[in-house]
Amino acid sequence: MMEGRTAPTVAASALRVFDLSLGQMLWSRRSVFLAILLGAPVLMAVAIRVLGARLGPIEVNGRAVNGAAVFGLMIWLLYIRFIVPVLGVFYGTSLIADEIDDKTITYLFTRPIRRSAVLLGKYLAYLASTVLLVLPSVMLVFFLVVPTGEGSLGAAFPSLLADFGMLTAGLIAYGAVFAFVGARLKRPLVAGLVFAFGWEPAALLLPGYLKRLTVAYYLQALVAHERPQDSPIGMLLQVFREVPPVGTSLISLALIVGLALWAASRAVEGREYVLEQ
Amino acid sequence: MSAPVIAAEGLSKWYGQIIGLNDVTFEVPPGITGLLGPNGAGKSTFMKLATGQLQPSKGRIAVLGQTIWGNPSLYFRIGFCPEQDAFYERMTGLEWVAALVRLNGADETSAAGAARRALGLVDLLDAADRRIGAYSKGMRQRVKMAQAIAHDPELLILDEPLAGMDPLARRKTIRMIKEWGREGRSVLVSSHVLHEIESMTPNILLINQGRILAEGNVHQIRDLIDEHPHKVYVKADRTRALARELLAQEDVLSLAFEGEAVVVQTSKPDAFYARLTELAASGVHGAIHEVTSPDDNLQAVFEYLVK
Repeated sequence: MMEGRTAPTVAASALRVFDLSLGQMLWSRRSVFLAILLGAPVLMAVAIRVLGARLGPIEVNGRAVNGAAVFGLMIWLLYIRFIVPVLGVFYGTSLIADEIDDKTITYLFTRPIRRSAVLLGKYLAYLASTVLLVLPSVMLVFFLVVPTGEGSLGAAFPSLLADFGMLTAGLIAYGAVFAFVGARLKRPLVAGLVFAFGWEPAALLLPGYLKRLTVAYYLQALVAHERPQDSPIGMLLQVFREVPPVGTSLISLALIVGLALWAASRAVEGREYVLEQ
Repeated sequence: MSAPVIAAEGLSKWYGQIIGLNDVTFEVPPGITGLLGPNGAGKSTFMKLATGQLQPSKGRIAVLGQTIWGNPSLYFRIGFCPEQDAFYERMTGLEWVAALVRLNGADETSAAGAARRALGLVDLLDAADRRIGAYSKGMRQRVKMAQAIAHDPELLILDEPLAGMDPLARRKTIRMIKEWGREGRSVLVSSHVLHEIESMTPNILLINQGRILAEGNVHQIRDLIDEHPHKVYVKADRTRALARELLAQEDVLSLAFEGEAVVVQTSKPDAFYARLTELAASGVHGAIHEVTSPDDNLQAVFEYLVK
């Protein structure tokens, strides 16, 4: 019999599941979708750059808009409000579901590790694969868009780092929330899409405390860009004006992540997964 | 008497309105035990309960004296080869088996060593560095066996392990399972083909429609099954030449071609399988890649039994 039969800790097991899952996740069916999703802003940035070079800077109400402001708008509206939640929904809800569909879950659930370690390992693989793909896309957009309209790469660079942090925080938070949705519900994709694109935008526009039940509310406190005033862009960003302090947001996001992963782990530990015959 | 390796007491499992297993009480003794029943009989449900993938709806099941549901440490002592043909296709056989052994707590070096040993036991060492996606059906069955035995468990639970294997791999796997039993370990192996089970053990559990019909040494069942023609699906390099040779045998009742395979109906399955293994070993008609048996043979016997 094999010696040294000591169960690895949850953290060690999660890392081993991470090793096993990362390659699978990067080469999964969703990779094409991910490439299209992350390639679209880069194509938009190329278009902005080419048009900017030919027609001059973008103007709103007769005033030239700085490239950094356009970049900031793209970060908020494209990445934070669309791409990051979409990635969270599609990857987060499928952490276990993909293994069920592929019927490979049996191999993971008949090993001497906790099921929660399987979930955590796959969550880490999701984070690594999405962060490693989102950040280069953002960097390309930054270098293409910021120099337009007399924007300065050097001056805008610190905000790029802050954007990286914010996007990573978004991927962490949305991934955890949708990992819970995926672990708890039988049809998690619909519920995830309703949460990300129904509940969140609606709650953010409503007065009162409901917006505190969204991830986006806390993420917007981490937006580093100055918001241009007296312009349609400024007016648009006014919608998101009510923001909590950065410290409160970070603590709240950490609580959301911790709670969501704990609940997801509990759900996975107690749930039966019946494979289709 | 030795303690049972698996003990079920009033065990039931239902999926909504569908009953998978219906109030069964029995014990699986140490050694090799065959779980025999047609598709949909409840074999896989029982195996999933015995491997802690499902929770009993009613009753209890103990494996190696312990409750299995929510008890991951028991998986150190159990190896499971599932029925489904599902893999991480992009990994090589060696990477996949080693990665699973690492989940048992082994470090990278010892996991790779254990994986190599297991792949050697199932005769897959030559293909260890090939991607699983490029494996034949029989090789996929064998790599699945390798992951079940790599961590050296006390109890092996094998769900239809011979399905799709070529005759030589089948013979080797049967030998390996018997050897495993001789070493004092326990094996629960399911199949819908009595001849497969019988070649491994005389100790059989008969299951149908979620109930255990009989347990123990069932020679009578064997006599019954011989009265029913047995269908075998064979895929070979030179299927037509093989079919010509088979047709000359007295026990072959009919032949039909299905794509690149031939479906043979025989009245003497034992003799037929033995001859097929000899033909595979001689290589006279090229390689024989796949041998499967649909479960309608056994279904006929069960229909007779439960009349």
